[in-house]
Amino acid sequence: MPLIKRWIEIFGAIDFISVGMLLSVVAMSSSKRIESCLKAYVINSWLLALLMAAFAVYLSIPHLYIAAFFTIAGKCVLIPYFLRKVIGELKVTREVEPYLSTPVSLIISFALVVLVYSFIAGGIFVAGAARNVLKISVSIILISLFTMMNRKKAVTQVMGLLFMENGLFLAGFSLTYGMPTIIELGVLFDMMMGVMILGVFLTQIKKSFVSVDLDKLTSLKG
Amino acid sequence: MCESDFYFFIHKEVFGTGILLLISLAFFISGAVFFTVAPKKASLHYCYVLYAAGAGLSAFSFAEALYGGGAPMAFTLQISPALSMGFRSGPLQDFFGLLLSVAAFAASVYSAGYMKNTPAPRFQGLFYGLFILSMGAVFISGDALSFLISWEAMSLVSYFLVVSDTENETSQNAGLTYATMTHIGTSFIIGAFMLAFSATGSLEFTGMAAGLAGKSMALKSAIFILAFIGFGMKAGIFPLHIWLPKAHPAAPSNVSALMSGVMIKAGIYGIMLMCLGVLGGPGAHYSTWWGVVILATGAVSSVMGVLYALMEQDLKRLLAYSSVENIGIILLGTGAAVVFYSFGQTALAGLALAAALYHTMNHAIFKSLLFLGSGSVMHGAHSKNLEEMGGLLKRMPYTGLFFLMGSVAICALPPFNGFVSEWLTFQALILGSSTPPAYTRVITLLGGAALALTGALAAAAFVKAFGVAFLGLPRSGKARQAKEAGFPMTAAMGFLAALCLLLGVAPGFLLRLISALPFEGLKEMGTAAPIHSPVIIAGGFTGFWPAAILVSMLLGLAIILALAGTLGRKRKITYADSWDCGIKALTPRMQYTATAFTKPLRVIFKTLYMPRKEVRISFKLKPLFVSGITYHSDITPFLENYLYRPFTAFVGKAAMKIRHLQSGKLPLYLGYIMLTLIGLLLAWA
Repeated sequence: MPLIKRWIEIFGAIDFISVGMLLSVVAMSSSKRIESCLKAYVINSWLLALLMAAFAVYLSIPHLYIAAFFTIAGKCVLIPYFLRKVIGELKVTREVEPYLSTPVSLIISFALVVLVYSFIAGGIFVAGAARNVLKISVSIILISLFTMMNRKKAVTQVMGLLFMENGLFLAGFSLTYGMPTIIELGVLFDMMMGVMILGVFLTQIKKSFVSVDLDKLTSLKG
Repeated sequence: MCESDFYFFIHKEVFGTGILLLISLAFFISGAVFFTVAPKKASLHYCYVLYAAGAGLSAFSFAEALYGGGAPMAFTLQISPALSMGFRSGPLQDFFGLLLSVAAFAASVYSAGYMKNTPAPRFQGLFYGLFILSMGAVFISGDALSFLISWEAMSLVSYFLVVSDTENETSQNAGLTYATMTHIGTSFIIGAFMLAFSATGSLEFTGMAAGLAGKSMALKSAIFILAFIGFGMKAGIFPLHIWLPKAHPAAPSNVSALMSGVMIKAGIYGIMLMCLGVLGGPGAHYSTWWGVVILATGAVSSVMGVLYALMEQDLKRLLAYSSVENIGIILLGTGAAVVFYSFGQTALAGLALAAALYHTMNHAIFKSLLFLGSGSVMHGAHSKNLEEMGGLLKRMPYTGLFFLMGSVAICALPPFNGFVSEWLTFQALILGSSTPPAYTRVITLLGGAALALTGALAAAAFVKAFGVAFLGLPRSGKARQAKEAGFPMTAAMGFLAALCLLLGVAPGFLLRLISALPFEGLKEMGTAAPIHSPVIIAGGFTGFWPAAILVSMLLGLAIILALAGTLGRKRKITYADSWDCGIKALTPRMQYTATAFTKPLRVIFKTLYMPRKEVRISFKLKPLFVSGITYHSDITPFLENYLYRPFTAFVGKAAMKIRHLQSGKLPLYLGYIMLTLIGLLLAWA
């Protein structure tokens, strides 16, 4: 264990992993197919679990192992499985149909990261291993919010929401070095329920509007 | 983590008369529970018996507390370690609690008979109980938080009762107006409380009063204005009364009795609590202009209220407008009291305040009586429209008698209770000419003049209401087939009518209770001796002997009857047709109608009423062969037309503009969130 701790420090594993998460979000926001979005999400979740494990080793917080395990079970296995099923049932076209082109979305994502890095430094001072993680997590939240704005399909909105939740999780445990396990479990469980409910919603929207195109929802306005 | 999220804490005082209050609470709760679970609809009237028992017990407990002079009960609901709701009753609270209990007792007895012809008896019974409970909670709240929660509960429950006739579009609209107005009022009240809280750091009324004692006059005045508008909205003062004549008639009659009799008194209670209790207190400095504002509002409300009452053809709307008038009379007394306090004339202030409190109690009694009476009339004659009634006295003798007693009382004629309170108000206003500055002298005297005008017009309005509804010949088939109300209904009305007479003949009883209230100058009011002796008012300013009035009236009546008997016997009665205009039998169409009766007043006050009339003639063959003429006349509701309608139109337009923000596009909504987040980030950095 001390050896692994030392390696984590030498190689800057925590920064590497969180940057990997940021990159996977950027990948999601610029990918054109729903399947690649889902793959990016799986990668993002694996990296999140890995980061938790790294924190658990580096700071010797044993209960983060449990959180990491449940993250793998929930976010890397169950949610992607369920989403794949929903996408299959909905028979939506595989393209994500963004409003803005890929280069423009990339530029905006870049701008958001710059904004966060330049402004958050003066705000909260986080020392130690997690000094960069907070900035990255806020960037992840903003980029996924932007992605939600940018997509027409309801399925990709759900993807954006899931990414945002990963970002929040990241921010949460980087600031507190692990919330009580019961809270983490609660959040995960909420997430599962949320995804299931959204799945049902998607099928209902599809039924009522014959598509999951969100532009059609304007007709709900009184 | 938090081991005591919700616990209940009762002081030891509860084992005084407060225990009765708890038992009465138990009666109410069990009544409400039975309403929801009772198996058969036929047994539902027993639940009202539970309510009546609860109200009777609490009336006894409040009266006992006022006589005994101690606080019966105080308890605190601890919601969280930092947040608690305090309930504490003092003499002012007991007085209003007594008022509520008396009206609720009569209305509950009445409801046991009345509920048969309501569309949703379970729903109404449950909400009726909750309504009484929430009003009780308002009256015994000890701090701003519990007050606001109870106040909102009262408003919402009464809203549901107003709209309980779900088929009727008018009552739905009335409910909307009511809900809007009452929430605007509540926001003003919250403003007043928040201002007081930020200045004193205390949510409790006693703490607020202590903390505000040394604060600046500007702050106090701001609190006063906010509280006066907020509570005035509920009380129904003149320009803000607009919801009252809509909402009160829309509710079932047992509920409108409580709304008009008690709920608008919650507004009066609030004004007295904030103005005299929190901002005032012993030795405090009042601003004279507060009193002048209250007095002027009272004068305008009373005159305008009765003028609109005169023009109503709908019995319940007439009564509702008359409530605006009576609130005005109460405010005349309250305003005069504040003016006198500001000059340190405590004895006079005590007289004025006693008059206001006396009238508050009186109005609760006779307005409940009249609304219950109108419920019986609707129950019997199936109409609210005066033009469709007539001749009901023969068909509904008890209802007619009690309605007459209520009408005489509300017109302030002896020997009934209205006379006592209006006489006291008159005395206070006339004695206002002893205040130092000239302008308050003029204003109090003008208030007296307004009260005199109001009294005369009120008499006209109730002569019209009683005369057209109960005397003469029936104007419609419904009126011809009217049936007398059942036993519990007449008994409840009889109880209230007896109270009207009792408080008119023996004012010493109620004045003794009023003197227990902790305001300067009131103590002297209670030194008036027992029932049979002349009541000397406030340090020998003036006085009268009600029992003597009753005796002399009875004597006068006896003399008239005797004279009529002896002189009338000699006359021979002849029957002739000469005044029938050539028509043999007298028909209902020859009678004065309600509209015709008030025609002279409509002419006198035509600048205010702006009467409109429209004559439509349809021809078979122009111009000589007329097939029909219709005549339509009404008055211009100028407040609606020139104040409220432009305002709502403006709000509607502004809302349509703002509505563009709500495009229905999800990405745009997400964009709002994102912009907010980035803005927060920038602000944070």
